[in-house]
Amino acid sequence: MLVSLNWLKEFVDIKIPPYDFGEALTMSGTKVETMTVVAENVANILTGKITKIEPHPNADKLIVCTVDMGTDERVIVTAAKNVFVGAVVPVAVDGAVLANGTKIGTNDFRGLLSYGMFCSIEELGMNTDLFSKEIMEGILILPENTPLGMDARELLWLNDVIIDVELTANRSDCQSIIGIAREASATLDLPMAGVTTYDSAESTNQIANYLSVRIEDPACPRYVAKMLKVKKIEASPLWMQIKLQNSGVRPINNIVDVTNYVMLELGQPLHAFDYDSLQSQEIVVKTTTDKKIVTLDDKERDIDETMLMITNGKAPVAIAGVMGGENSEITETTSLIVLESANFNKGSVRLTAKKLGLRTEASSRFEKGVDPELAGVAALRATQLLLEIGACEVIEGLIDVYPHVAALKKVSLDINWFNTFVGISLTIDEIAKMLTRLFFKVEKSSDHVLEVEVPSYRLDIDLKEDLAEEVVRIFGYDMIPGTIMGGETMVGGKTPVQKFEDALKNILVGQGYYETLTSSFTSEKRLHGLNSQLEDNLIPLINPLGEENSIMRHTLIGHQLEVISLNYNRKNPFGRFFELSNTYRKNTKPGELPIEEQKLAISSYGGEDYFELKGVVELLLEQSGIKYPDFIAGGSDFLHPGRKAEIFVDGVKLGEIGEIHPVVVKNYELPKRCYVCQLSFAALFDCASLDNKFTDLPKFPASNRDLAILLKADIPAASVETIIRKNSGDILESIELFDVYTGAQIPAGYKSLAYALNFRHHERTLNDNDINPVVDQILSELKRSFDAQLRE
Amino acid sequence: MGFSIAEGPEIEWAKYNFDYLNVPQDHSARDLQDTFYYEDDIVLRTQTSPVQVRVMQEQKPPLRIISPGRVYRCDEIDATHSPVFHQMEGLVIDKGITMSDLKGTLDLFAKKLFGEQTKTKFRPHQFYFTEPSAEMDVTCFKCGGIGCKVCSNTGWIEILGCGMVHPNVLRFCGIDPDEYSGFAFGMGLDRITMIKYGINDLRLLFENDLRFLAQFK
Repeated sequence: MLVSLNWLKEFVDIKIPPYDFGEALTMSGTKVETMTVVAENVANILTGKITKIEPHPNADKLIVCTVDMGTDERVIVTAAKNVFVGAVVPVAVDGAVLANGTKIGTNDFRGLLSYGMFCSIEELGMNTDLFSKEIMEGILILPENTPLGMDARELLWLNDVIIDVELTANRSDCQSIIGIAREASATLDLPMAGVTTYDSAESTNQIANYLSVRIEDPACPRYVAKMLKVKKIEASPLWMQIKLQNSGVRPINNIVDVTNYVMLELGQPLHAFDYDSLQSQEIVVKTTTDKKIVTLDDKERDIDETMLMITNGKAPVAIAGVMGGENSEITETTSLIVLESANFNKGSVRLTAKKLGLRTEASSRFEKGVDPELAGVAALRATQLLLEIGACEVIEGLIDVYPHVAALKKVSLDINWFNTFVGISLTIDEIAKMLTRLFFKVEKSSDHVLEVEVPSYRLDIDLKEDLAEEVVRIFGYDMIPGTIMGGETMVGGKTPVQKFEDALKNILVGQGYYETLTSSFTSEKRLHGLNSQLEDNLIPLINPLGEENSIMRHTLIGHQLEVISLNYNRKNPFGRFFELSNTYRKNTKPGELPIEEQKLAISSYGGEDYFELKGVVELLLEQSGIKYPDFIAGGSDFLHPGRKAEIFVDGVKLGEIGEIHPVVVKNYELPKRCYVCQLSFAALFDCASLDNKFTDLPKFPASNRDLAILLKADIPAASVETIIRKNSGDILESIELFDVYTGAQIPAGYKSLAYALNFRHHERTLNDNDINPVVDQILSELKRSFDAQLRE
Repeated sequence: MGFSIAEGPEIEWAKYNFDYLNVPQDHSARDLQDTFYYEDDIVLRTQTSPVQVRVMQEQKPPLRIISPGRVYRCDEIDATHSPVFHQMEGLVIDKGITMSDLKGTLDLFAKKLFGEQTKTKFRPHQFYFTEPSAEMDVTCFKCGGIGCKVCSNTGWIEILGCGMVHPNVLRFCGIDPDEYSGFAFGMGLDRITMIKYGINDLRLLFENDLRFLAQFK
């Protein structure tokens, strides 16, 4: 919200420099985002009245103006088209500086000296967004009665500081100059001025002859109406226009400007109706079954029966709290106006504005909550201003429908509790004083308890904790000491699961793998790329950001492939990645949240083959204390049919590993060969034995046997290893695949796998009689299962 | 300091994400424009605070936890927004925990994280979960407080939101606010990472280009 410091100073006599004021406001809870002088550079631009215009003797497009500067006269040569005799304009005189920094001196225009220049809105540094193109392009014409020789900085508030404040959601009472003024007053401990309102003590009730108001919906807690006779619809006075401009609001005409002015000043949105076009003597606030209304901005809006309307009893004339209707708009011919100062329920306005996609200054204020008490004051303030600027005459009487006046809230504050809670020690009088500065009414009910009456506009104060914050923010958050909490000593740190996560990540990083961070979303389309049927346990979102983010992922594979694809397409020659993240799927148990399962995905491309990835996975398992994982041919359809394995430990499936299927390679624009592994973190953790128990060093030597096995090329090595392990009893210590050969020496379609087997018995030395039968058993089993032969 | 790491579901009951955290029923944060829904009463958590609720409901005070994790909001992806991002929140509940403890603890935390010379500044703010609430700035870790591009010449960087746990929240979680008090704090990890490393586009964090990843060994 934009706040004019000059306007604020009309309520609180702020003497400290603007920057210090901004800092003080921030530290008491009204966060100042930026502070900007309207036109920092502008100097020596004075008001002058054009008294004579003559043609330039040597140039058709230039005119020569004689200007009365109040104390002297000067000649200005200009090409401006919108100036006329009698116009009061801003004149940049000798030594003047324009908003953009340009210095102005005396200039020769085709043989005639010009002692300065006339200025436009832009040259003055005013907010150009708020003016029509017409006004923008010409010289700014000031009101006729403007004093001459006056500094434009003062007159047009070019020296004003515009403070952009960020208000928190609970402080709806600060959405106005008066609201910020209250904060300034409390923060700086300065008195605050009030506003002048129209004296409502009237002798007659003329308004009753014109209008009655009925509320038929509780979403309107209060409706105040005042009627006025229009004297003349014209531009509002300069001072009013400037305050609007410096608050970011466009001046329109005297009536509309007053409604906006009071909204900015007090925070109460107002609306003015043309009485005659209401075509009715009553206003009824209710929902209707009408389908359309044309709003003030000439747009037809679809309305429905949930939206609160201001009606003339039959048809809607305004969308309550959002925008007026075109059918009752103030026009040049308006002779009677109905000024609406009403209160609407914040939820109702929020939903209506949301449905319509129409947020206005009014709706955004109502959405945050407006104090119903304000409606009466605002109506009288607007009346006062309309009379003061000569726009209207009053019609006596006020309509005020206000069925339930809420009592002021009372909250008690125990000083002992407060001091303990905050960790400071203030006296009851100090605390009472700070609350009083914030306009709370405070009474001592005992030597340590304050009874605090909350002003009606402080919708955010209900509890003693709320009051504690009020006191502390005035006392100063920076004045609270910092202490280290006492209480019970607690043992923190990571759980075994968290430590295991760290360990896995460290191993992978140590092996040259990079941890990736990918989004949790996927989509049907993205999943189809994985060459798999969609599973029926997916988690689709009700309101995703586009189709591609419509499902919570149930696998990390797709995202790993996208990472590979991105890097491959950016010409990064090779890559090794991993991610330990959640995956999501439906819970079949009713009334429970979806299942979230952490998975570990590892992937690589370029310069690495399947066995390297497998080696890293084996290392991970080994470091997790998992002795004999089984790699059994098989796995998902995104993997190459002949180059994939599922990983089991003691019959429990940990995950799968393999090369990416050629179809998936194409779908994801991947390099020809990429390798992935995905493990269930929970299964891995369950199988892991993390207590590293010491085993005695072997006392007896090991015996090695190398076996080269010839078998069909499509039989996975993992299956061979499984058979070797199963048939080795308990004397096989380790098994290593050290060579895979295909080529001239062996038949086509076959491969040779060379294994080094290491046998050891912990109680004696093994001899051939121990080992030969085992090797025979292995070979015969391999022959039976795969028709494999020992290669001599 | 005796903190444990608590974790909880990312797909969460709306009541854990909003109701128990004292978020008003008609608050716009609950709208479909702001929060992802899986079912009418199940959302993608918009903050890691529901973890705190779960811990308070399941364990007895004293409590000292931090809860890091993924959170979700309906923001289109751009240089500073992502629908998926990360938060870390902390919670302390015990008898006699004061606002001074909040200040002292977070000041210590900031010094450990950003260096011993770091200063902190607490400004009043508002969160539904806490009362009183504050935002904490730290002296800019680039310029040390003199003012530079990173801190927009203010010398300060806003780093976290915090406050004393709201009595309603304690009550919702079965803790008696007359007996116990506590404080909570929360910060956006992605934003802090970006500031700390001078990363100008949030999308880089989720892209995983090796030339980016290789800079953070």
